[in-house]
Amino acid sequence: MRVTRLTARDFRNHSRVELELGPRLTVLHGPNGAGKTNLLEALYFGCVGRSCRTSNEREVVRSGEGVARVTVEGEDEDGRHLIEVGFSPGEPKNARVDGARIERPADASVRPLVSVFLPDRLELVKGPPSPRRAHVDRLVGALWPARAQARAAYSSTLGQRNALIARIRAGRSAPSLLEPWDSELARHGAELMRHRRDACALLVGPFCARAGDLGLHGEVELRYRPRSRAETVEELTDELRERRASDLERGFTTHGPHRDDLELRHEGRPLRAYGSQGQQRVALLALLFAERDALADHGRTLLMLLDDVMSELDRERRERLSGLVLAGGQALITATEAEHVPAGRGPGVTLARVEDGKVWVEAGASDGSWRAAPRAA
Amino acid sequence: MYAAPVSRLIAELSRLPGIGQRSAQRLAFHLLRASSEEAAALAEAIQEMKRTVGLCERCFNLAVGPLCRICEDPRRDDDTLCVVEEPSDVIPMERTNEFRGRYHVLGGALSPIDGVDPEDLRLEELFRRVEGGGVREVVVATNPTTTGEATALYIADSLRERAPSATVTRLASGLPVGADLEYADEVTLGKALRGRSSL
Repeated sequence: MRVTRLTARDFRNHSRVELELGPRLTVLHGPNGAGKTNLLEALYFGCVGRSCRTSNEREVVRSGEGVARVTVEGEDEDGRHLIEVGFSPGEPKNARVDGARIERPADASVRPLVSVFLPDRLELVKGPPSPRRAHVDRLVGALWPARAQARAAYSSTLGQRNALIARIRAGRSAPSLLEPWDSELARHGAELMRHRRDACALLVGPFCARAGDLGLHGEVELRYRPRSRAETVEELTDELRERRASDLERGFTTHGPHRDDLELRHEGRPLRAYGSQGQQRVALLALLFAERDALADHGRTLLMLLDDVMSELDRERRERLSGLVLAGGQALITATEAEHVPAGRGPGVTLARVEDGKVWVEAGASDGSWRAAPRAA
Repeated sequence: MYAAPVSRLIAELSRLPGIGQRSAQRLAFHLLRASSEEAAALAEAIQEMKRTVGLCERCFNLAVGPLCRICEDPRRDDDTLCVVEEPSDVIPMERTNEFRGRYHVLGGALSPIDGVDPEDLRLEELFRRVEGGGVREVVVATNPTTTGEATALYIADSLRERAPSATVTRLASGLPVGADLEYADEVTLGKALRGRSSL
C-alpha cells in the first residue's frame, strides 16, 4: 500500500495535523524540536500500531489529552484503504482497517511494510546480537509469511526446555525427559537457521552494492553467523544431546539459534567493534536498503522512514542517498535544512515545513504537479 | 449494587470460560426472570453431571459408570489405539466415523513450564495397555502444538522401547478439506505445500 495521507490528533506535540504524502518521497524540514520526528513516529504508529521510539507509549499522547489518534490513508491495486489507530494509556488500542475493528494492527494485510531509521537504531549495528536476530526474523516473515511463525515456535520450545532444565536441577523431573524436547527444539531450530540463511543470502549482494553506493569503500561483508554448524535436524539434535551435561550444570540451553548473530564486516573486521560512527551509520542504511531490494524482488514494497539521516553525511553521500531513496518504494525523510535532501524537489516528492506542531506543504502533490501556495494544515 | 445472592451467582458465572462480567450479569438476570422450574432444571443438570460422570477406568474418556461407551462397545477394534490430549478431542474423531479403534485420553500434554511431567498424564497406563498386547497401531493425535508434538515424540520413544511390535503413527497436518484455499492461513498452507504429494 502506498500512503497518501496522514492525520494525527493529540499525538506528541501535534494537536491536529494533516499531511499529504508524496507517492515517492516526503521531506519534512524545520528547526529542532518542531515535531518532525513526531510526525514520522505518528506514521509508524498508524502503520504498525506501536511506537518506534518508546516502549512507554503513554508518551505519545499530547500532554493534557486523553487519547491520541492516527489515521493513515493509502491505496494499492485494490483501491483505497483507511487505517485508524486510537490509543488511550491503560487501555487496549482501538485499531480499524477500512472500518472493521482488528485485534492487532500489525496483522492487517493491507498495511504497508515499514522500515525505520532513527539515530538510536545504530544499536542494530553496534549493539548486542539479539536485536539483529529479531531483525532478521522479521525480514524472514516479510519475505515469506508462511515462515513467520518459526521464531515463535522455537522460542516457546526453548522456554519449555529451559523450564525442564530448572526442574531437573531441582530434582523434580528426570533428565531422560530432555529427549523429546531436544528433538522438538532441533526441529524448530534447524528450520529457523535455514530461514535465516536464506534471508541473509538474499541480502549479501545488495548490502555490498548499497554500502558502496553510500561511500563505504573497500571490502564489505554481511555474514550469517550461526552458533551451530549443524545442517540437518539430526545433527542439531546430536549437538544438543552432547551439551546436556553442561546445560544442566549452567541451568539453561547454551547452544542453538538463539545464540546466532548477523555480522557486518568492513576490511575484514567487524563493524560492530571497529567501525567508526559514520561507517556504522552507512552500514545500517545499506542494510535497510538491501532489505528493500530483497523485498522488492519478492513483490513487496516498503515505506522507509528516515529520521535525521542526512545531518552527518557529506554532500556527495547525501546525493547518493537521495538517489537510492528515489529508486523504489516510498519514503519519508526528516532534516533540519531542506537543502540537505537533494531530492527534495521533483515529481512525486512532497516538501513540507514543520514548525511548532504545524505543517506547511511547500511543494509537490500526488499528481506530480507543483503546488505553489503554502497551505496550513 | 445487586442483592447478595445475585452478586454471588454473577461471580460464579463469570468464572466460566468465555463469560465476562457483562455476560454473567445477563445470564443472572435471565435466570432471575425465568420460572423456578427452569432454574431448578439447570441446577439439577449441573449436579447430576458432577454426580454421575467420571473418567473411564480403561481409556480415561468421560464415562457414566466404570467404562465409557466406546470401551464397552464390542464392535470396536482392539488393535488400534488413538491417543488424544483431552476427552473433548474424542468427539471430533468420533464424528469422522472413520476410526473404529479405541481411545486413550492423556489428560493434557507434557509442559515443563506448567510443571506437567509424564507422571501427571495417563502415560504409564497407555504404555501398559500397549505392552499388554493386542495393539497393532497407536495413532498419536495430540495437538500440533509445541507441547503436543513433544508429547507425541515422548510416546513414540517410549513405545519403541517398551512395545517394539506396535507401530506408532502421527496425524498428518495440512489444509482443511472443503475450505477455500484463499481462507487458509500462511502457516497451514506452507506446511501443506511442503508435504505435497504427487498425483
